[in-house]
Amino acid sequence: MSPTGELANRLGPHRHGRLGSLFRFAALFGLAFILFAIVLLVFGKNPVKAYVDIFRSTLGSTYGFSEMLVKMIPLVLTAVAVAVPSRIWLINVGGEGQLYMGAMFATWGALTFSNLPAWVLLPLIFVLGFLGGGLWGSISGILRARGWVSETISTMLLNYVAILLVNFLVFGPWKDPESANYPQTADFVDAAILPAFGNTRVHLGLIFALASLILFHFVLSRTRWGLEMRAIGGNPEAARRNGIPIARYIVLLLFIGGGIAGVAGMSEVSAIQGRLRPSLSPGYGFAGFLISWMAGGDPLGIVAAAFLLAIITASGDILQMAQGLPGSVVNILMALILFVALARHGRKAGRK
Amino acid sequence: MGSVHAGTPLLYATLGELMEERAGIVNLGLEGVMLMGAVVGFGTTVQTGSAAMGLLAGALAGGLFNMLFGFLVITCRANQLASGLALMFCGVGLSALLGVSYIGSRIEGLKEIPLPVLSNLPIVGPILFNYDILVYLAIPMAFLVWWVLFSTRWGLSLRAVGENPTAAFAAGQNPHVLQFQALWIAGLLGGIAGAHLSVGLAKTWAEWMTAGRGFIAVALVIFSKWHPLRAIIGALLFGGAIALQLQMQAWGVPISPFILDMLPYILSLAVLAVWGGARRYAAPASLGRVFQGTE
Amino acid sequence: MIRQGARLTEKILVVLTSLALVLACSVSTAASAEPKLKVGILHIGSVADAGYNQAHAEGVQVMKKNLPNVEVIEVENVPEAADAERVMENMIKQGAKLIIPASFGYLDPALRVAKKYPDVKFEHPGGYKLAPNLGTYWASTPEAFYLMGIAAGKTTKTNKIGYVVALPISFFLANINAFQLGARSVNPQAETRVVFTGTFLDPAKEATAANALLDQGVDVLGVIVDSPITVVQTAEKRGAYSVGYHYIGVSKFAPKGWISGIAFTWGPLYTRFAQQVMDGTWKSENLLGSLGSDYLTIAPFGPAVPAEAVKLVNAKKQEFISGKLEVFQGPIRDNRGAERVKAGGVWPMTNLGKMDWLIEGVIGQAR
Repeated sequence: MSPTGELANRLGPHRHGRLGSLFRFAALFGLAFILFAIVLLVFGKNPVKAYVDIFRSTLGSTYGFSEMLVKMIPLVLTAVAVAVPSRIWLINVGGEGQLYMGAMFATWGALTFSNLPAWVLLPLIFVLGFLGGGLWGSISGILRARGWVSETISTMLLNYVAILLVNFLVFGPWKDPESANYPQTADFVDAAILPAFGNTRVHLGLIFALASLILFHFVLSRTRWGLEMRAIGGNPEAARRNGIPIARYIVLLLFIGGGIAGVAGMSEVSAIQGRLRPSLSPGYGFAGFLISWMAGGDPLGIVAAAFLLAIITASGDILQMAQGLPGSVVNILMALILFVALARHGRKAGRK
Repeated sequence: MGSVHAGTPLLYATLGELMEERAGIVNLGLEGVMLMGAVVGFGTTVQTGSAAMGLLAGALAGGLFNMLFGFLVITCRANQLASGLALMFCGVGLSALLGVSYIGSRIEGLKEIPLPVLSNLPIVGPILFNYDILVYLAIPMAFLVWWVLFSTRWGLSLRAVGENPTAAFAAGQNPHVLQFQALWIAGLLGGIAGAHLSVGLAKTWAEWMTAGRGFIAVALVIFSKWHPLRAIIGALLFGGAIALQLQMQAWGVPISPFILDMLPYILSLAVLAVWGGARRYAAPASLGRVFQGTE
Repeated sequence: MIRQGARLTEKILVVLTSLALVLACSVSTAASAEPKLKVGILHIGSVADAGYNQAHAEGVQVMKKNLPNVEVIEVENVPEAADAERVMENMIKQGAKLIIPASFGYLDPALRVAKKYPDVKFEHPGGYKLAPNLGTYWASTPEAFYLMGIAAGKTTKTNKIGYVVALPISFFLANINAFQLGARSVNPQAETRVVFTGTFLDPAKEATAANALLDQGVDVLGVIVDSPITVVQTAEKRGAYSVGYHYIGVSKFAPKGWISGIAFTWGPLYTRFAQQVMDGTWKSENLLGSLGSDYLTIAPFGPAVPAEAVKLVNAKKQEFISGKLEVFQGPIRDNRGAERVKAGGVWPMTNLGKMDWLIEGVIGQAR
């Protein structure tokens, strides 16, 4: 594969022109939706009705739309967590673990400092969440910067460790004495709950998600750091010879990426769950990786891909209720979209 | 003992993943492959009443499913990591759909085969030598994979492809064909692993019953530093960790199961950090490029 | 050239898809006759699990049979995280006025949704918090487990009984303790070993745990997980006896070794709930049934249980129902030697939520 081809494959679907790529996106969805319709037909279900139901329950009502936003928040955050290090070709598949560590640190703060007022406690657990995920990511960063272990491997392995750590705490020292020995922490006090907008469940995490996107874009395109990052990404050897401290960026970017995933964990545990449980994340970390990949690490693309994924995952229950399908069939739809994107994009990259 | 039983599906899955990684392809979707093997194996056993048919069907299902993966990463040259995850999602959803009518079904499952003399030994006999056929075949299978990879021409070509596909091509090999072959075998092994879980171990079907074992196998390959014989130890250790904490409870020993479960992963990291990760004499070079992001 | 051709294909695809969507949106659904009450139920797992979920599902089926003008919206495999709230809201949007979130972990989400919709009633199994429109219900099972202990104690040949349990939740610990007390009352040498799998559903772990216990010489296996199939089948395969839980039809998995089981037959209770909501007589309360209630049933005994055990069980059952007998009568020590109930004292059934210890004679870690 030619160098540009390799880069393109690394980066994700090639983008030349915003409108062109949006169009391409739409065409991909179309193909995947048709394929999924065929799957539904094979199992004797009405695909038209299924899609109508999905549309109605997600976009057809304010409630549905708000729920979709709720799902988008952690997806966008974990996607940015992958996108940031990906600028210098670091592969972060540890979003899940970083999310859990962020949630863990935030929980510690919420449980220990439950007497503080909200305007102190909330920023505190926000910082803790960022720190937790960031430190976890930086472990992989250091291991990679020193040349000991590739970050793909270490972030993947650390996922398991983080989840097990949370399990240990929730089954043991942090178990709520009021919950009949059930593995969960005590309720967060109201001061530690991230507020939501109006009557919906859309919470302040939306601001975090948007901010992370804007900051990411801004830093990358307008600051010196962004320039150096792009230099490393474009030609690491030249960058090194020019004195750019690559090792420092490796650790820093994995710290930041991990921290953003940590914020996702903090907002999920604070706004949505209200306490720490082993079942905090249904795979947001992995979904974030896929979103970032599909979007080519581009902020706008991340929004679009997260939007799509949020609709698909939210439609699992309506498919079950209305069609009698097991909720996991939406995984097939998601996989089909990915397959189509992968196949098409891989071909293009290979042709170069 | 429980760790042998629980380690068996892990060993098969690890050997499969090892095969494909030796050819330079990392498959994060092994979980999906195992699930397809589990659901097809279980369903076939229910329909035909024969566990052997079930295992065969499960293996084939895994192989075919992995061919889909092969199409993506070899033919379409798609990103391996993303393709693997997509494969996993597809496997989870598809197996759930296929398995709906089989939840709650009963099967005879794989029969235990007590080894003639050995199982009559006092105390150890019934515990160590009374397993189903797949358990007995697991370690020989690891030796077989080792022999194939390191003592046959095909294995040599495969490893060459994993190190440097371009050079292998220049030397007259066809990397794509070899990789597809490796993926096919990996799929068969992954399918058997899943089928053993549903037909041999649990004798039932539940959605996502592999519970992450496919990902554990990916970690195991790293832990065993891409060597089939070390994979045996790894599978026993990881499988043992799963089973050991249950075992220890049965013995009445007080220990936190989570700390125990964590050890294999931490050990893997330590092993890699000390003896070199994807750089020195460990991962096949071309696979390393996937890990290093230069692929 | 090829690029342009590809662009054209993409354009066609996009147009086709948009057309399809527009067409779809104009499809209207025919209106159907309005039922008097819509009931929504959420399951944590599959309703074919011959266990926890199937018991709830069959309860709802019985309710539907008893009350023909009740419609049921049923969703399986709802995760306990954020999704549960969304599913409940979707049901309410479809007109459900009674919601049964059938899993312990649905309590917090249900309370949140209940606050938003004061005119919708919720009934949560096993919960410990109430709201003006959310009631909780369960059947107190320790007495039934005591009876199982008697049957098992009389049937075991090795005097070793094993229990595969999901989590060390207080209510489960209380069940085990009651079981051991029952077993000891007829068999002074009986001991119970407990293994916690750490999760409500993982057939592979349950099989491993069951085998580990059987390797230790137990010949009776009991189970407290969502689906008893795996453990009961494993016991049957290795020639051991089994005690079931949740669902009344589990005995078919163990024709030879079946002792008995504790089953929830929610049908009559759900019928009452629905009726009350329709009549307007529903009120929020913590309903705790017992052996005498019609939603807690002892499964029929298997062939291996001696006749005298059956007689004894029935006699003790009457004593529990009449109130003559209390399960946790002192003196009771836990398995670390500490005294938990003094002689002459009683650990009341209302305080089971605080029981975080295992009784002496039980081998296992509660914490």
